[in-house]
Amino acid sequence: MVWAGVANYRRRKAEQEKLRQMQAVLMPAAPATSADTMAPPEEEKSPLEGKPAPGFALENLQGEKVSLASYKGKAVLVNFMATWCAPCKVETPWLIKLRDQYGPQGFEILGISTDDLDKDDKKRMAEDKADIAKFVSNMHIDYPVLIDGDSISHPYGGIDALPTSFFVDRSGKVVAATVGLHDRDELEANIKKALASGGA
Amino acid sequence: MYIIFASALCGSLQCAVSQKLAWQSDAQSKASEKQFVQFLYPEQVKLVAGKPTVVELHFRVNEGLHINSHTPREKSFIPTQLLVEEPTGVNVANVDFPAGTDYSPAFSPNDKLSVYTGEFVLRAHITAQPGDHLVQAALRYQACDTNSCYPPKKAPVAVSVIAK
Repeated sequence: MVWAGVANYRRRKAEQEKLRQMQAVLMPAAPATSADTMAPPEEEKSPLEGKPAPGFALENLQGEKVSLASYKGKAVLVNFMATWCAPCKVETPWLIKLRDQYGPQGFEILGISTDDLDKDDKKRMAEDKADIAKFVSNMHIDYPVLIDGDSISHPYGGIDALPTSFFVDRSGKVVAATVGLHDRDELEANIKKALASGGA
Repeated sequence: MYIIFASALCGSLQCAVSQKLAWQSDAQSKASEKQFVQFLYPEQVKLVAGKPTVVELHFRVNEGLHINSHTPREKSFIPTQLLVEEPTGVNVANVDFPAGTDYSPAFSPNDKLSVYTGEFVLRAHITAQPGDHLVQAALRYQACDTNSCYPPKKAPVAVSVIAK
């Protein structure tokens, strides 16, 4: 049932995007406000909202398995990103600061890299991992970044665009989801929502 | 066999083959075929056999989107490349890519990205032996809009080459 909802959601998202692009062509030229440029219009609610976040265990850059389940009791932002994603680079410094601010209250971020990994060629895979590690270092990311995000894209509804974020409460339930770059205030509001929900 | 016309050559054929993950169904594969860039024309070209000829390949990026140029300013950005499958009797010696145009995203107005938007043209230097040939290729690109970036895709290209 969840998968049917996810498939319909993806189809509706694609139709919505097409409509948005058509509207963009038809709209008369007007000065863009920051709200116009920062947030997609009327984003549809993810079918995962209100449901348990799909579990996963992915490797971090040190080769250790990290599972979402091990963060139960914390509010977690599952943030799908990639080294080639320009809006992700804008969002990352905000995430670092928000983690500093809300970490003491039990907030954590899991960055999920969707960069391709050449699994058939050990040398190239090591290079792929090194590129991700370099990105993490250059961006001063101090939260865990897990690799091979594509392998968990399906249960999360298919990650069609980046960045995509799922805000998971302390009980492991998705309380909000966003696709694309949203402003910092919206990120913070969703973090607060995750922290306030699902406590014992 | 693919030939990759790119400044950063792939080390193996892996980069020329679409990755299909184990869990992907056919339906999902079809969904992932949605393209943000279309090959426009030509469908057919007539050449003088044995004479090097420039063939202009026209593409269009969907409204509201941009793709990285062949030479993006940041190393981590994915350049637009042409992966060419040379049939017997056809040689594609080189492909010229246009310079990108500067684009400053609304979310990062101080940055200048090197991108293609709207229509753009690649110039392929082709020499063909007498006969009818089908040259197949794929334009590998990575698209973004004002808020989001989309995973890299390959737009199919097919040109019938008639050399006399």
